[in-house]
Amino acid sequence: MSNLSAFNGYQPTWCPGCGDWSIGIAIKTALAQMGFTPSDLIVVFGIGCSGNMNDFLNAYAVHGLHGRGLANAIGAKIANHKLPVVVVAGDGDTYGEGGNHFLHACRGNHDITVIIHDNSVYGLTTGQVSPTAHQGAKSKSTPYGLPEQPVRPLHIALTQGASFVAQAFAGKVPQMIELIKQAINHRGFSVVNILQPCVTFNKLQTYQYYLQRTFDLDENHNKTDLKSVLSFVQKAYEEERFPLGVLYQVEKPVYTDFLQVLKDSTLVDKEKDTKTVAKELLKEFL
Amino acid sequence: MSDFLWKIGGEAGFGIMTTALQFSKLAVRCGCYVFAYPEYPSLIRGGHNTFEVLLSDKRKNTSKDRIDFLVCLNKDTYTLHKHRLAKNAVVIFDKSEFEIEQTAELRLIEFPFNQIIKEEKAKEFMKNMLGLSASACILGIDKSVVEDMVRSTFADKGEEVIELNLKFVNYGYNYINQNYSEYKIDLLSSKSSKPLAVLTGNDAFSLACVLSDCRFYSAYPMTPSSSVLSTLAKWQIKADMVVRHSEDEIAVINNALGASFAGIRSAVGTSGGGFALMVESLSFAGVAEIPIVVFLSQRPGPATGMPTWTEQGELMFAVHAGHGEFPKIVLAAGDISEMIEITVKAFNLADKYQTPVIVLSDKFLSESLFSLDSDKILSLIDNSNIDRGKIIRQTNSETYLRYKDSADGISEMLIPGQKGFFYQANSYEHLEDSHTTEDSEPRVQQVNKRARKIQTYLKTDFQLPKVFGNLQESKLVFVSYGANKGPILEASRILAENDMQTAYIHFTHLYPLDEQRLKTEVFDKINKPLVLVENSSRGQLAELLREQAGITIDKKILKYDGRPFYPIEIINKLAEVL
Repeated sequence: MSNLSAFNGYQPTWCPGCGDWSIGIAIKTALAQMGFTPSDLIVVFGIGCSGNMNDFLNAYAVHGLHGRGLANAIGAKIANHKLPVVVVAGDGDTYGEGGNHFLHACRGNHDITVIIHDNSVYGLTTGQVSPTAHQGAKSKSTPYGLPEQPVRPLHIALTQGASFVAQAFAGKVPQMIELIKQAINHRGFSVVNILQPCVTFNKLQTYQYYLQRTFDLDENHNKTDLKSVLSFVQKAYEEERFPLGVLYQVEKPVYTDFLQVLKDSTLVDKEKDTKTVAKELLKEFL
Repeated sequence: MSDFLWKIGGEAGFGIMTTALQFSKLAVRCGCYVFAYPEYPSLIRGGHNTFEVLLSDKRKNTSKDRIDFLVCLNKDTYTLHKHRLAKNAVVIFDKSEFEIEQTAELRLIEFPFNQIIKEEKAKEFMKNMLGLSASACILGIDKSVVEDMVRSTFADKGEEVIELNLKFVNYGYNYINQNYSEYKIDLLSSKSSKPLAVLTGNDAFSLACVLSDCRFYSAYPMTPSSSVLSTLAKWQIKADMVVRHSEDEIAVINNALGASFAGIRSAVGTSGGGFALMVESLSFAGVAEIPIVVFLSQRPGPATGMPTWTEQGELMFAVHAGHGEFPKIVLAAGDISEMIEITVKAFNLADKYQTPVIVLSDKFLSESLFSLDSDKILSLIDNSNIDRGKIIRQTNSETYLRYKDSADGISEMLIPGQKGFFYQANSYEHLEDSHTTEDSEPRVQQVNKRARKIQTYLKTDFQLPKVFGNLQESKLVFVSYGANKGPILEASRILAENDMQTAYIHFTHLYPLDEQRLKTEVFDKINKPLVLVENSSRGQLAELLREQAGITIDKKILKYDGRPFYPIEIINKLAEVL
């Protein structure tokens, strides 16, 4: 256990009662319990209320563009695959603007942890629907109701190749801390979808709503059988219930395992004689 | 020898590109310089592919209008090019496919491509080897040179492939020797001991990436930049770098920015459409001060445009790309040696100024084959340097400020990892310590700090355009950038032979521009007409010079049909614009 307060940046500006508070504390606690200091990892933040954690959580950090955090994280991991890389992003970041990156990050099994604040609204732009909002949801951008069904993040992560898929609830901090730790410890692409009420803009998915509809996974839950996990997740979706815990976890090669040049050293630590290499390559053109 | 243009054409998918590369390599082995330009439609099969190769005893980075030797692997090749045939041009064709009326103006060679393919039960693309060897025989190339070439080209394909190709080389030589020995031209009968390298603009960029210690290159395939991705991907083990084909161009640049943040030199490559997708992230690189090299190879737009053709329609887009105000550097090369120099410099500038640097190319430069003495390239390699500027692995100060205000606008960039420190690469406006701010004073401080990099660049790294010829003695002065350099210099040479002296102002450092120096050291000295030459409909370099330096050029030779300039076109157009 390292010093938790070392991670403290500025005093957060989140609304009183916002789920971001507990998620922020859970992340710091998890990192401290794992023995990390702010110099030991790279954290990439998205844009939104969740992304604003950039100023509240100390680390070597990127606060990039909306939706692009995963893409930055993948590049950073390739450059220095010995450093843990964590992405802190929202549901708009991950399932909307950056949906394509999420799909391909799962598929690449990059050794990155992504913590998604899933509150079904765009809080920072004052409450429009997010990709996980319910069909029919009324908001400033959908005054007559949202025509689309919600994105199903767990389904996507599971079917596209993520090797660790978990779900947490911002109202259950101790479990959230454990799940974040397991996700960071997992070698491979680890997804933690955190259900989070937005007390200001989301009057539907409240703490009460989630308290009634979330449930812990059974001790006997088989987290390595993709087929059964998928049907389990689908059943929960149909019943509008939300399982909490590690839904799926398998070991498989990560993206950088396939990169031969990373076998002996990280890219950032390589010593090279580029002139000799260039002269050798020039021979191909003679 | 006078310049000689060899051209081969045939159906797409039948190896025209490979054959032209082999022909070019044969020619340089016979002591000849080459410049070769491919034309092909945006499809894989059918359609019509051509490759023309200029042979010259001097280095000329241009083709010419008149074709001296045409190899027709199908009828289209003849119908599409007969108007360009020079007097006494050699034309190889197969009578079983189409007929050409005999005239005294042409040296027609009826070559039984189809019959040989049928008798040998060979694949259709083997016609290429017949065309190549028949051409080599006519031009006086010693058969052993062709045989050596076959052995080295197909070394990894096995003995059977080599034997088959050698057999077809024999067919070509025997048929010409027996039937058309009177048409032989003694053009390439000598052998050269001096090695010439043959590479495209994209090859030169790729080589310079390796030389510059670029450790991460990401891209999404887009003509005409794609061969950089495939070349670097092929080299990644030897070059000890990671080459990633990302899911889209937004991922491409954000992968590279993540890698650059983590401490390694990173670059991306694309064409206009992909670059458009990268533009928001370019602005992120600008404010977060992350080094990045962007290779932008232009093709005719708008939108999908004409994917496999050439144009210079994106200069102003490159210069103005990105929302908000941030420093950016745009460089362009005119040939392969400049491409190596400019690229090495681009990586150094990206690191020094911790900001995006764009290397501008176009299809004409990216995919044409240039020849150059390999000693020249070796000396470019030996004289290159890697300067990472204020990028550091360790800071000795007690408090580290990522965006510390400084006289030159540049702050130390600490590669993540040093214990006891942390900071953000922040896309929001920020304080010196990298925390987000919306306050007035630090906002102005950081805007000024970033803008100061431009002043530092102009003082220390900007280079005035290169001037070819004598500005005072010339009747007119051409102005351009990129691979137009080749056709313009050749047009100038031809004009000089006809007693008309001209000069050429060639830009490599396109943005930002030093208005004062451009005026006092170059343009104020000229009292002759300026003529812009550009592959675009607007003449964007003239727009840029007026916007950034108050220099006006109203005479323009513009071409925007997707084809590069021939020197003779520039000469012919002069009468219209002057």
